[in-house]
Amino acid sequence: MFADNWKISLRQIRRLFIMDIFGMSSLILPGILSSMSGADGIFCLLLGMAGGILLLWLIGANVKHIKKDYYNYMKETAGQFLADIFMVFYFLYFVTLCGYVLYQITTLSLTWLLPDGSYLGVSLLLVLLGVYGSARGIEGRARVYEIIFWFLGIPLVIMLLLAMSDVNTAYYTPLVSSGLTPLLQGSAAVLIFLLPLTALLFLKPYCKKPEKMVSCGKTAMTAVILLNLAIYLVLLGVFGKNTMGVLNRPVITLMGMVNLPGGFFTRQDVLMTAVWFFALFALLNTGIFQGTLVLKELCQTPGNRIVLWVVAASAFAIGKAFFDHSFLMEAFEIYQTWVALPGMFLILLFLLFLRGARAGRTERKGGNG
Amino acid sequence: MSIQITSDLQENIRNFEELFSDCEDIKKRKIKVGESLGQECYIAYIEVTLSSVDFKDSAVGKLLGKLRTLPEQELTAYVKENIEDISDSQPFPTIEEAAEGMLTGDVLFFLNGYNKALKIPDKGYPGRGVYETESEKVIRGSNEGFSESIKLNTALIRKRLRSPHVKVKESFAGRRTNTNVDLVYLKDLIYPGMLEEIEKRLSEFEIDGTLDSGIIEQLTERKKYSPFPQFQTTQRPDRAAMAILEGRIVLLSDNSPVALILPATYNTFIQTSDDYYSRWEIASFTRALRYLASFLAMVFPGLYLAITNFHTQILPTDLLLSLAAARQGVPFPAMVEVILMEIAFELLREAGVRLPGANGNTIGIVGGLIIGQAAVDANIVSPIVVIVVALTALCSFAVPNEEFATAFRILKFMFIFLCGSLGFFGFLAGLLAVLIHLSHLESFGIPYLAPFVGADLNGYQDERDTFLRLPLEYLKKRPVYTREGARTRLRLYKEKEKK
Repeated sequence: MFADNWKISLRQIRRLFIMDIFGMSSLILPGILSSMSGADGIFCLLLGMAGGILLLWLIGANVKHIKKDYYNYMKETAGQFLADIFMVFYFLYFVTLCGYVLYQITTLSLTWLLPDGSYLGVSLLLVLLGVYGSARGIEGRARVYEIIFWFLGIPLVIMLLLAMSDVNTAYYTPLVSSGLTPLLQGSAAVLIFLLPLTALLFLKPYCKKPEKMVSCGKTAMTAVILLNLAIYLVLLGVFGKNTMGVLNRPVITLMGMVNLPGGFFTRQDVLMTAVWFFALFALLNTGIFQGTLVLKELCQTPGNRIVLWVVAASAFAIGKAFFDHSFLMEAFEIYQTWVALPGMFLILLFLLFLRGARAGRTERKGGNG
Repeated sequence: MSIQITSDLQENIRNFEELFSDCEDIKKRKIKVGESLGQECYIAYIEVTLSSVDFKDSAVGKLLGKLRTLPEQELTAYVKENIEDISDSQPFPTIEEAAEGMLTGDVLFFLNGYNKALKIPDKGYPGRGVYETESEKVIRGSNEGFSESIKLNTALIRKRLRSPHVKVKESFAGRRTNTNVDLVYLKDLIYPGMLEEIEKRLSEFEIDGTLDSGIIEQLTERKKYSPFPQFQTTQRPDRAAMAILEGRIVLLSDNSPVALILPATYNTFIQTSDDYYSRWEIASFTRALRYLASFLAMVFPGLYLAITNFHTQILPTDLLLSLAAARQGVPFPAMVEVILMEIAFELLREAGVRLPGANGNTIGIVGGLIIGQAAVDANIVSPIVVIVVALTALCSFAVPNEEFATAFRILKFMFIFLCGSLGFFGFLAGLLAVLIHLSHLESFGIPYLAPFVGADLNGYQDERDTFLRLPLEYLKKRPVYTREGARTRLRLYKEKEKK
């Protein structure tokens, strides 16, 4: 039959990644880019996208050599020891991402939806939902986001179109004035938000048409960057650089300001929070799923259950730590910028280099022989 | 240990009567046959299953009449050569099998010198005949409904699908009830493995009795704790025939007017027969309305609580003030108020179902108008809650399948608790939980949310018959659960001519 084959379609992959990348990037990037580079944030988004294309190229170049799964490919190419180290690196990335997303989604819920709620209660409920979502594998997860894709996308686009009437184009200037360093820092920030695309490396065994998987990633990334570009332009035009820089989640503030025709709903921020709630939950789920997948392979455990709970508990603990100790947020930013981002590129480059060197050696041997 | 039927009629009678001792409803008669009435035969039947007492017009009567015209020595040969092979009669070699045959409502015939018992069909068990369906009413289309007789039900499907490819596979369920269970399908359309899967599931249990298809449904479902049914049910032969044309399998159980259809998806539960009989515009409009109704039947009271208790900023001030004014003097918190009204409504519904027709309607009116009005006047509930509960009830009635609507009725209470205590966050968490559950759910290997998920499997064709029902000429392909290579259901020759 069709279900329970542990394979997902290209459309499901595309939608899953759009949700994964869009939620966090649209929520947090506008504030970061605005404070770093003002109107030049547009260029940061484009440069970040160029970096994303490079990342996807590296992913694609490695994926085509994967026979069984990524872990086995790393073992074949770099040996057991290095492969294990790389897997630990990926595990740390996904589990900290999980914790961070959990913290973000919980604070989002507490700020906009349940101001009197308890962090622990909300966070625990979300983790449990995350476990429930990941328990039956990738198929169920992909189906959820295949379904709600348009339900979230259409209202968002409508709201953005309605918000355009408040845009003041004077805020779009001055352009090209922020300097090279903020531009590069902004681009790096964009690229950090595109890093969940590395999950593609682990998806080959789960994809119905693995040869087109990376191109799906490209489509998802392009769609998200274009959407972010539109959001950034609207936000910049409505709030201006300075106000946007101090707003915590400017896109949700904007949703609260949009006037719907007819005037029945006076504020839509609560309703529109659903878009980011579902999108962030998608990334949380991806983090839990990928973390479980990596840890399971690393520990060579036959079942998913214990590993899943370990990852969920770790994410919960990390999220709580972010909530209790604000300095950890800075530490996480440093980790993402100086460890995770270069690490993702270097591992892929290193694997390609080793593969290339080995192929060259084999060729030379063949030539000599 | 089975008892073999022998050529000795007396021995067979003794064995048979021993098996059916103290069964006064079973009529047993010894009858003389042959030209000079020198030979003996024996017939047994359940009292009401034979059409006339003197057998004149019945098949058995005609057989006996014929046997009285033949010489005694030719009787056995005549029965062997002329009766055994008649399609409806069936020879049994053992007493037990013969008894089972008789209990299906046919007449059993033993003849001295003949070592088998013959089952000869006659009137059979009494039944209702073909009546109009009580549920699944349509504006356009047939009004015939299934009855309690499985034979009649299969015939009603056959009447609509006059193809030799329609197969009826018979089995029995229930150790003591020995209920006939028929699987009806189009051989060239069903997806490979689907028939084997249902047969496997039917063989996975042994139960005392299956008095309705609901028992089979529950015993063969995989996700037992899901509120959502994994079989579609129907009382309409045209709906069943339509399902068979889509490559699905219809399971009929004797004594039950409710047929089970497998596989089932969210989309199939929302579809009705007249969606395809009416023009596409109205079909699409009502389809979209039913989707909305299924959603609101689950979340509307919860959303009301979330907005009025937690997120009042969404609503315009005027509306907010009128809501507050309506609630003035109501002693209960809004959540308790909603729960009270919902429970009252569910009680009315239950009472209305159990009472005879006219009284049921009265209860609806008394409950809806008098109790509702009295509750508002007594300041027990606010008028707005009465409106919310009534609209939710309307939404649940708009869902065409009763079992499917029940799932939303149950989940509604979960949303009331979540939204009443956690506001819009509770609503989103609940929605996510339901979505995850539905995305995990399958019916015979088909995702419950198909074709919204996995639409690529059939080239995105199935999406043309979901929220909207596109014009029939766009619905050229059968859904994904049909066998690959047999999915074309409509060919337009006009197009060919144009080309």
